[in-house]
Amino acid sequence: MWKFSIRRIMIMIPQVILLSIIVFMLAKMMPGDALTGLIDPNVDPNTIAEKREELGLNDPWYEQYTRWVAGVFTGDLGQSFHFKMPVSELVWQRIVNSFWLSLLTLVLTYLIAIPLGITSGRYNDSWADRLITGYTYIGFAAPLFIFALVMLWIFGFHLGWFPTGGSVKPGLTPGTFEYVMSKLYHMLLPALSMALITTVSTVQYLRSEIIDTKQKDFILTARAKGASESRVYNRHILRNSLLPIAAFFGYEITGLIGGSIFIENIFGYPGMGQLFLNSILLRDYSVVTSLVLLFGILTILGTLLSDIILSLVDPRIRIK
Amino acid sequence: MKKAKFSKLLLALMLVLVLALAACSSGKDDSAKESDDGDKTSEDAKKEDGLYSIEDFKQVKTNEGDAMEGGNFTFGLVSDTAFEGTLNWNFYSGNPDAEILSWFDESLLTWDESYVYTNDGAATYEPLDEVSADVLATLPAEEAAQVTDKGVTIKFQIRDNVNWHDGQPVTAEDWLFAHEVISDPDYDGPRYGSDFTNIVGVEAYRAGEADTITGIEVLDEKTLQITYKESTPSLVTGSIWTYPLAKHIFGDMAVADMSASAEVRQNPIGFGPFIVESITPGEAVVMKKNPDYWRGEPKLDQVTVKVINPNVVAQALQKGEVDTVDKFDVDQFPSNANLSNVEWLGKIDRAYTYIGFKLGTWDKETATVKPDPNAKMADVNLRKAMWHAVDNDTVGNKFYHGLRWNATTLIPPSHPEFHDETNPGLAYDPEKAKQLLEEAGYVDVDGDGIREDKNGEPLVINFATMSGGDTAEPLAQYYIQAWEAVGLKVELLDGRLQEFNSFYERVGQNGDDDPKVDIFQGAWGVGIDVDPRGLYGRDAIYNFSRYASDKNDEIMAKGVSQEAFDMDYRKEAYKEWQQFMVDEVPVFPTLYRAILVPVNNRVHNYTIEEGVLPTKYHEISVTQEEPIKAE
Repeated sequence: MWKFSIRRIMIMIPQVILLSIIVFMLAKMMPGDALTGLIDPNVDPNTIAEKREELGLNDPWYEQYTRWVAGVFTGDLGQSFHFKMPVSELVWQRIVNSFWLSLLTLVLTYLIAIPLGITSGRYNDSWADRLITGYTYIGFAAPLFIFALVMLWIFGFHLGWFPTGGSVKPGLTPGTFEYVMSKLYHMLLPALSMALITTVSTVQYLRSEIIDTKQKDFILTARAKGASESRVYNRHILRNSLLPIAAFFGYEITGLIGGSIFIENIFGYPGMGQLFLNSILLRDYSVVTSLVLLFGILTILGTLLSDIILSLVDPRIRIK
Repeated sequence: MKKAKFSKLLLALMLVLVLALAACSSGKDDSAKESDDGDKTSEDAKKEDGLYSIEDFKQVKTNEGDAMEGGNFTFGLVSDTAFEGTLNWNFYSGNPDAEILSWFDESLLTWDESYVYTNDGAATYEPLDEVSADVLATLPAEEAAQVTDKGVTIKFQIRDNVNWHDGQPVTAEDWLFAHEVISDPDYDGPRYGSDFTNIVGVEAYRAGEADTITGIEVLDEKTLQITYKESTPSLVTGSIWTYPLAKHIFGDMAVADMSASAEVRQNPIGFGPFIVESITPGEAVVMKKNPDYWRGEPKLDQVTVKVINPNVVAQALQKGEVDTVDKFDVDQFPSNANLSNVEWLGKIDRAYTYIGFKLGTWDKETATVKPDPNAKMADVNLRKAMWHAVDNDTVGNKFYHGLRWNATTLIPPSHPEFHDETNPGLAYDPEKAKQLLEEAGYVDVDGDGIREDKNGEPLVINFATMSGGDTAEPLAQYYIQAWEAVGLKVELLDGRLQEFNSFYERVGQNGDDDPKVDIFQGAWGVGIDVDPRGLYGRDAIYNFSRYASDKNDEIMAKGVSQEAFDMDYRKEAYKEWQQFMVDEVPVFPTLYRAILVPVNNRVHNYTIEEGVLPTKYHEISVTQEEPIKAE
């Protein structure tokens, strides 16, 4: 397995390099640059021209790219033009928020998916099953960004149960119990909105896996041996059905990254998704490229994780 | 069995067809809707209600009930991005940061409603009769003579009770230090520019030829003198740098590190009415009152400034999550006009929308405008006709509920002293437009209802306009139709709206004007100084129409001449310029606009009057603990 992991990581390197080149090129092809937004008769145009020269924005893209890559290798992701601070510091500030949000979303996703999937699989073609599959179809069809807006409106504004923006109540001291609870409270609605949508594919997987496993010979054997129904389901069927779910875990992380871009923007939650979109709009190249690099690495790590988990839970699969 | 398969196939096929049909018909629906809307607008034109006028709004909040002691106040910063967090006047660049800054730090000089510096602020100023002899002595004879002739020395006196939040006095040294930092080659903010090069010795300091700025003399702890090379009326309307930088904090720091330092981002300092207590990066800043504030102890205990997503502003106001916001989208006003828990304040924005005509190019070598007498839009009558052809009052009423209205001249009424009310601009008059076009030789030769150019060749005018907001597209279409009504064929550049960045790139913000652009619609926020040279001067890259003439240079120069210190002379000069722009029409203004600000009913002493709010923060108070919620 170690060999496999290392090989995968080795393959990852050219992937990430290629990804960063493409992103950098595309970013540069966008009209405008970080200074376009400064267009303001109160700011001297000569100052802007000088700044542009100073930042090297007039150089061809490959020169800018090599400069940036050289920085990355020395651990310097560059300076955010917009925020006037090192990118690494900026990303770190945001990554913490995104991490907790993603974690909560994952937890909620499985909290919803597993009971629903089991019920639906065990009692398939019952009313409960139809309700649950009905929900999953709606979930597949509803775009996340619309669903999140609806959730925000209903639970944030109409009922007023949840805060509608930010990651924490301003003015609390970090580290206190109150602070942590406030963070959690602010995260709950965005996480739930995302979980309710992303969970549907997991529910479907689980359902069809269970239905599939139900008809396997070894289940028949278990029943024939006189195992109780609950034992059959909990020990024999569920364990075997969870395999693909576990394998899916890594990809789930990838999905979270995409989802967070919508969710964070809708809920005004200052994480990496929001930072990413804003940086594109503001043409803050160093941030955009760094984030893409980060997202790329996370995605590749996610798939790697999936493969590893799969090999751990299913001894039949041997990674060579 | 076979039949079942066939019917399944049929079902699938039909599903595909249904989808295809749905796709087609949705397109049709849209177009049908559009024409419906068109009918509706003509109906609306008959009834005049549903319109608002900026004149009905007050700038000062009515106080209701009795104010309580202390209390918290929440200020909403409407933005879909996190604020940058460069919390120092000397380094900030974004408007959100400025909104936060103004609560805990302030300008040493305040200004009145006509944007002229006053002596009511934390410092007073007084131009001296003669240019400082000590400064002249540092200059070569020739330059000295010039400065004596045109320059001025201004003496500034900082009040004794003006102290930084840490108790240290705000000193003349600090003020000098701010100038030094901004003039430093390593400075990474956007402030260095002509305002600074106008100070004697700044350029030498920047080039590393001098240890300090010779034109700034620190006389004692609280007094300093600054000698400016050129004295114009603009100097006292916003061209003095009035923000000191705490030298006892930043003194030992490298200039390049300052803007990213903790002293700017985590523990920012100022001398304003509130002290920063905690910052949640990008989200919110909590401030407590500064009991030693020089204007007196603030009435509020705590102020929270937090970012509010534009999507949710109305709801946040309704629920009393914020007491007020920095700006409110006028489009959303009609549906919120009756909110029971807020009072709406309004004033005229320092901005106008305009349509510009490309009359030349930018010469990068000489950095000046190069007018092209053969440009497609070079005929002044064509430009005038295009102005006459559009009905901007209707545009304002239909698209903005009257909260934008027909603009007449290039100095908006937000500068009441200089805006020429008697100048009507060119009014909506399609017949006049047609007549002008006929006379100028733009006639319909081939009888298709579209005019050809003077040589009988087809005339197609390319119109560049920005995307963004729901109204951008219909507004552009309205203009195109209005021009078609007088027989001019105008097309959207590339057949679509331009994204913000690419719009300004193609219009020429870097001097690379796209020759395909013939006319364009843009907007300018104007500075507090009325001097239009930054937008219409020969050497202004933002002069996107690339219009220049000697006469124009002359009139604009009048406005900033020595004689223009006489207010009446200056007014007269700008009146002349406004008329000149109406005669020449390198661009024509289309709409003036209103700023609306909702304020919760529990708030006392809030105002949006120009220049007044920063002096009144300490007087704001509230009548109850929590903001009032809408019923």
